[in-house]
Amino acid sequence: MADTEAGTSAPADIPAGVPGHEDRHAEPVMGAGVEAIEAYVVPTGEKPKRQSPWQVFSSMPFFVKLSAIWLILVVAGAIYTQLDTSLFDGNLPLLQDPNLQTNNFNPEAGEFGTGERLEAPSAAHWLGTDALARDTFSRLVYGAWVSLVVAIVAVAFGFIVGGGLGSLVGFVRGRTETFTMSIIDVILAFPALILLLALVSIFEVRDLFIISIVIGFLGIPAYTRVARANSLAISNREFVTAARAIGTKPRRILWREIIPNVVPTMLAYAMVASAFVIVVEGSLSFLGLSVQPPTSTWGNMINQARSDVKVNPWQVLFPSLALTFTVLALNQVGDFFQKRNAVRAAAL
Amino acid sequence: MTSRRTRRLLAVPLALGLLVAACGSDDDDDGGEGTTATTAADSEPDTTEPETESTDAEPDTTEAPDGDGDADEAEGDVDTDIEADVESVRSFGGDIVIGVEAEATGLRPWEDACAEPCLVLHRAIFDQLVEQAADGTYQPWLAESITPNDDFTVWTVMLRPDVTFTDGTPLTAQTVADMFPIQQAGAVTAGLIAGAGLETVEATGDLEVTYTLSSPNSAFPAVLANATGRVFEPAAAAADPDGFSTNPVGTGPFVVDSRDLDNETVLVRNDNYWLVDSEGQQLPYLDSVSVRPIPDEGTRLDAQLSGTIDVMQTLRQGTIRDARDAGGDFTLLEFQGSNTGGGMFNTALPPYDDVRVRRGLILMNNQEAVIEALGGTGISQQTTQWFSADSPWYSQAVADAWPDFDFDAGVASITEYINDPARSDGKAPGEPIDVELSCPPDPTLIAAMQVIEQVWSGSGVVNVNLTQFDQATHINNALTDIHQAHCWRWSSDQDPSISINPFVAPPEASPVNFPNYYNQEWFDAAQAAIQTDDFDERKALYESIMLGLAEEFPIWYSGGTATLLMTDPEIKGINGWLLPSGDLGVGFPGAAPRLQETWVEQ
Repeated sequence: MADTEAGTSAPADIPAGVPGHEDRHAEPVMGAGVEAIEAYVVPTGEKPKRQSPWQVFSSMPFFVKLSAIWLILVVAGAIYTQLDTSLFDGNLPLLQDPNLQTNNFNPEAGEFGTGERLEAPSAAHWLGTDALARDTFSRLVYGAWVSLVVAIVAVAFGFIVGGGLGSLVGFVRGRTETFTMSIIDVILAFPALILLLALVSIFEVRDLFIISIVIGFLGIPAYTRVARANSLAISNREFVTAARAIGTKPRRILWREIIPNVVPTMLAYAMVASAFVIVVEGSLSFLGLSVQPPTSTWGNMINQARSDVKVNPWQVLFPSLALTFTVLALNQVGDFFQKRNAVRAAAL
Repeated sequence: MTSRRTRRLLAVPLALGLLVAACGSDDDDDGGEGTTATTAADSEPDTTEPETESTDAEPDTTEAPDGDGDADEAEGDVDTDIEADVESVRSFGGDIVIGVEAEATGLRPWEDACAEPCLVLHRAIFDQLVEQAADGTYQPWLAESITPNDDFTVWTVMLRPDVTFTDGTPLTAQTVADMFPIQQAGAVTAGLIAGAGLETVEATGDLEVTYTLSSPNSAFPAVLANATGRVFEPAAAAADPDGFSTNPVGTGPFVVDSRDLDNETVLVRNDNYWLVDSEGQQLPYLDSVSVRPIPDEGTRLDAQLSGTIDVMQTLRQGTIRDARDAGGDFTLLEFQGSNTGGGMFNTALPPYDDVRVRRGLILMNNQEAVIEALGGTGISQQTTQWFSADSPWYSQAVADAWPDFDFDAGVASITEYINDPARSDGKAPGEPIDVELSCPPDPTLIAAMQVIEQVWSGSGVVNVNLTQFDQATHINNALTDIHQAHCWRWSSDQDPSISINPFVAPPEASPVNFPNYYNQEWFDAAQAAIQTDDFDERKALYESIMLGLAEEFPIWYSGGTATLLMTDPEIKGINGWLLPSGDLGVGFPGAAPRLQETWVEQ
């Protein structure tokens, strides 16, 4: 039986500050938050109400709402850059070509134009121009695509591999668990940045997908541990015991009882992890080890602008703010969902 | 035939020497006839009578009109003189702090490859047998004389008497001879020794050292003006080779007092230094010099502006621009010599094996735009050869031969190649060529690289893929011939034989022939140039090689390398130090100063 059949649900207006707990399924939740959680548990056999996205959004605290709006803008902007430019006479409305604005070089004439380098924000260039006279706003929006792809691919990779592995070993236990977790612990013990640099160096092709997979690989241990902890806890719950008692096959228990209960927590964690992934990509870009110029990423925009920071600090400021706001927003929204799941799980 | 081991040994110092690629730091020992500009921002006229006059030359300073440091007069057409400061009062004592761009790799002349930040320390701790004069010639320094035989295969060096190392050991001919086995095994000097064809070093008198070469080399003094001629105490080096890196023993004007890696190295005055100034006063003037590595350009400049450091070194055009704009009361010592930025094509690989491709890509290289992207407008000058416009080796014929930016001609040249059914890259006729352009991940280099990429890509006949690798990998890629279009630096202000001769040698014998382009006539010309000491003859030979480069295009240029020492106004003597002969020394090439005559104005 899945949790939705446990006869509990959580109300929409969950207060901020409810503590999360990794092994909350197995152990009593510690601290004062227990009462708070229990207070929101509806001890009936009613089916839980599914909340619409708008209801979820409405239940968010103010800053979480702002964060969610920011994330929606970033995602929308990133997707917008992938539209076919031929539909709009070469350039997307509001944006300029992010890479071919260097002093307005005109291949037809074979000449450079008179584009202003390191221009301050203006009506023509909302966030100014960079050292090559390229429109910073356009590059910032295009850079969001890289962050988005890296976040999705890396998190999905870690989520699927690590989450699957953790759920499995937490359920089957025994030598499989010991062996797997030993390997995971070894990977965790290795300095992440050094491992990342080594992996990036091995894959000399600076392809966005490969970079994402490499970053995702680093996330596997964390996902495995989170999934295993949840899997361990759920494996001891009554509905799993009941499933075993009636002779349900282990594979079916894993797919029908364990994984569905692990996923919500993992999703909340993935939100926070994607913030970390974006920062890692930004760091790699800053070091020149991520997607190569002229493709814009927030990290390489910061790197390229730092030599001109005294002349025009805007060019460092804007991509830094974009990165900061996005990471902050992901953490805020991730925390919100984590707490929300904590309440739901505690109600099991 | 040169063995693989020898070639490897050659590779390390020469690679670091020719390059420290594109990242701003060219290596060991710049010098010579560079372009310098000295700008004192907002300085008061010096009304004090000099106690000591070194020369009767006028100080080379200009004053910013309103103290805003906006030294427009230094832009573009900069002053070219290195002159002694004769108006300031020379005084003993004082401590200065120098901010450099990186920590020194080590303090062992035979082992540690040394770029400009490192040279600040090496030149303070060690003396060289030979130094370069302001006019680009070589003169004895720790040597008293240096004399060749008729065919330049044997060179006799007479050492100065009464010179002692900082540990009290006297300098003798045997000392120099004893250095040789250590140098032969050194990571840096082994390659230099092999490249120079130096076979033996013998003490043929108390102070007489005889160098025997395997083949004539009229420019051998230039070899002794770098790491090979940097004198260290061999017994101390042999006793503790590793410890020598932190406790070096030389004859230089300063001694290491403390060395805290990546933080600060403190040098104190060598009370027994052998050199005296023109008034007979024992040098150096300063009590101590602290050298602090501050890798971030902005932080280093801020440290200078805030007074945390007294002298700032930079090899970045953008930082020079910021220093000019910073205002305040500072002296700007700029230098732009023959070292030039640019890059190379690996001509062993298609499509770079076809001159039509190389010519086309170079015709589409707009130096002016690249310099602007580097932040060097008004600072760096466009280059056409391995010699700056004020170098005696400069050739107007080469300048005329090197093509200007011509986008249409570049497209036409590559189009001719891609439409050739026999094109070397195996692609179908009409398909664009693929070019991988690689530079180290420095922001200004990335910007410059994107300018080039944009123009090449805009041609429609070139697909460009940009790559960045850390500097060590970048160098290694060139050494192992897995590079394509590769950022690099060319030339120095030393004798042309130092950089050109190995560059034009057969690639299988010379690892620093990075483009892998071999022309027998160029090689013969380079060999002939070190068998004569006739300047005009030598110049004509090197000019013929430069003209060849302007026809075959294995390399390209992206503007001269500008460097700067920014100092507090009371610090004097960095520009205008003298050789023992009384002639002006080379100054501060590569922003690596010699500090024996530096003083703090009271």
